[in-house]
Amino acid sequence: MAELIAKSPGAGLHLPVTRGGATLAEWLPGAITSVAPFAGAGDKVDAALTPLGMGFPAPNGMAQGKTARIVWTGRGQAFLIGAPAPEGLGAVAALTDQSDGWAGLRLAGPAAADVLARLVPLDLDSFAPGTAARSLLGHMALILMRPDPEVWDILVFRSMARTAIHELDTAMVQLAARAAG
Amino acid sequence: MRIPCPLCGTRDRREFTYYGSEDYANRPAADAPAQAWDDHLHNRDNPCGPTRDLWYHDPCGAWVRVHRDTATHAVHGSDLVAERGQA
Amino acid sequence: MRYSGLRVLTEGLFGNKGWKPAWRDPAPKAQYDAIIIGGGGHGLSTAYYLAKNHGLTNIAVLEKGYLGSGNIGRNTTIVRANYFLQGNSEFYSHSLKLWEGLESELNYNVMHSQRGLINLFHSDGQRDAFVRRGNAMINQGDDAILLDREGVRRHLPYLDFEQTRFPIYGGLLHPRGGTARHDAVAWGYARGADRRGVDLIQNCEVTGIDIENGRVTGVQTTRGAIRAKKVGMVVAGRSSQVAAMAGMRLPIESHVLQAFVTEGLKPVIDHVISFGMGHFYMSQSDKGGLVFGGDLDFYASYAARGNLPIIEHVMEAGMTLMPMIGRAKVLRSWGGIMDMSPDGSPIIDKTPIDGLFVDCGWNYGGFKAVPASGWCMAHLMATGESHPVARRFRLDRFATGHVIDEEGTGSQHNLH
Ligand SMILES: Cc1cc2nc3c(=O)[nH]c(=O)nc-3n(C[C@H](O)[C@H](O)[C@H](O)COP(=O)(O)OP(=O)(O)OC[C@H]3O[C@@H](n4cnc5c(N)ncnc54)[C@H](O)[C@@H]3O)c2cc1C
Ligand SMILES: [Zn+2]
Repeated sequence: MAELIAKSPGAGLHLPVTRGGATLAEWLPGAITSVAPFAGAGDKVDAALTPLGMGFPAPNGMAQGKTARIVWTGRGQAFLIGAPAPEGLGAVAALTDQSDGWAGLRLAGPAAADVLARLVPLDLDSFAPGTAARSLLGHMALILMRPDPEVWDILVFRSMARTAIHELDTAMVQLAARAAG
Repeated sequence: MRIPCPLCGTRDRREFTYYGSEDYANRPAADAPAQAWDDHLHNRDNPCGPTRDLWYHDPCGAWVRVHRDTATHAVHGSDLVAERGQA
Repeated sequence: MRYSGLRVLTEGLFGNKGWKPAWRDPAPKAQYDAIIIGGGGHGLSTAYYLAKNHGLTNIAVLEKGYLGSGNIGRNTTIVRANYFLQGNSEFYSHSLKLWEGLESELNYNVMHSQRGLINLFHSDGQRDAFVRRGNAMINQGDDAILLDREGVRRHLPYLDFEQTRFPIYGGLLHPRGGTARHDAVAWGYARGADRRGVDLIQNCEVTGIDIENGRVTGVQTTRGAIRAKKVGMVVAGRSSQVAAMAGMRLPIESHVLQAFVTEGLKPVIDHVISFGMGHFYMSQSDKGGLVFGGDLDFYASYAARGNLPIIEHVMEAGMTLMPMIGRAKVLRSWGGIMDMSPDGSPIIDKTPIDGLFVDCGWNYGGFKAVPASGWCMAHLMATGESHPVARRFRLDRFATGHVIDEEGTGSQHNLH
């Protein structure tokens, strides 16, 4: 049987890159599972997530455990990122493996928010560390997380990886040029 | 124009897709007369002023009923279509 | 007063003192044979043809603002007959023929310029669709020429043919398509109607429609009650409000469409260019401004202005197609209120109320329709019968399923 070579979504796309006060790197989130609680099963979902040190997040919320992260991604839906679904979760929520559907990027540094501000129609000043949002990156669907004040984790559809990197890098170039001028 | 998503908060208009008047959410019964279907699909009050219409918040997938003004573009509030009539 | 070159010359020699106002400013009479509500392009052309073709001269046009204050003075002036579906095809063909004789007909320079319209296509499938459309146009007696990529390049060498998202495969050239001066069309019809005795009454808003025993008897206005046995509602984006005065609910939703113009430039764009896939079209006005626009803002609106995301979208599409325009400065943007119908095609029909007629649903394509709409609406109001080229524009076609969905986008008001 042919040996297939696993490639990350950002492979060959010239990351990481640093321009001015921002660095864009590929972020490999690991397993991504969509968790959609069954009707009325909210408490049971929270209980099943407890071993990971988290519960089901509120809109615009995320929680970071030791091994995994959970982020709200829509009405009645969250993504469990970085760890397999804990035992029992599948009995109280619809689980869908999305691991290979997304491209992860990490934008970090003091200028990171300014780079994003060129592409994301959100008020990033009031985007508190430890929160998340579903929004747009240019024309692309986006899941944006801010785990630390100067770190922004980005998920876009895997097929959009090249475009997302291009758009972000263009914004970084423009911002760095403006800072230099 | 900025539109409040009951889940995500107030967001830029470009995150939303417009569907039309809230008439679209009031589906006639399957055996309703043809006139009711014509009204549901085609005929509109089309008010100049306060209106309630349906928008889809693309990022989070919620159908939102927006209370706004067609003359001024002022947006007054919104609720989830899925929770209409509840609480 | 007839306009002519000689007249311009003699007036020039004698200090331009002999010019008279192009139309009177009459007070409303208590009664007319027919009333047209709305002094836009369609209302004025309806009045003109009622007088000219049907000899009905005891009529009035009631306009709530000034003549030409609505969409007729806000559009991007494209005149074409490149429709595909029966119903539209014969109607717009008739309209273009009227355009071609309009200046001598009206003794007025409407600056009709048949500079050619090119609709671009970007895939094999789209080419097939354009071949069909071109054949339909030729069958209708109009003109269409299929251009391959090199053919487009000969006409429009400055386009970016290699853009990755929508590489240009070719275009459909409609040589008789072009532009006209929008408000000159309103003024020309206004003057023509006035000269035939039509009262054009401005600052006269209709506030009620009087109906007795299912028959229309007149209207209430801000300048008093006026009686008439025939009333035509020709109010474009305001159609729902006026129809509601007669207790009607129309299949119309009003939407805002924006447009843009740059500073004046030397002649650079000879055609009308339509880049449908990118939602962008452009021509150059005789003053030199690049006149361009795109799609609706997509939400119901009566504010004659739009929002920034569409402006950004239109600019992006323009820059994708023809990067050279990036150097031009945009002078102005504005919006107009479109009477969107669920299939994108218009309505010229009787209503359930005797003597009350409706002409609406022009979406964003009603400028080119001004001559034929007036022609057919006048025919309907005078004879009680639909004109053959407008007989499919029925008010009840959504209920009966006889829709004319030119774009094939389904029955949603903002998708056409
Ligand atoms: C930005 C833009 C671009 C466009 N581009 C094109 C194009 O390139 N080609 C094309 O074919 N079409 C185009 N159109 C569409 C075209 O302009 C319209 O379809 C057409 O002008 C509508 O008909 P009208 O001229 O009669 O409307 P209007 O000029 O709007 O006339 C309606 C009149 O009714 C009056 N009225 C309303 N209510 C009352 C009342 N209660 N009492 C008395 N009067 C009343 C209004 O004041 C108004 O003057 C465009 C439109 C816009 C906004
Ligand atoms: Zn939302």
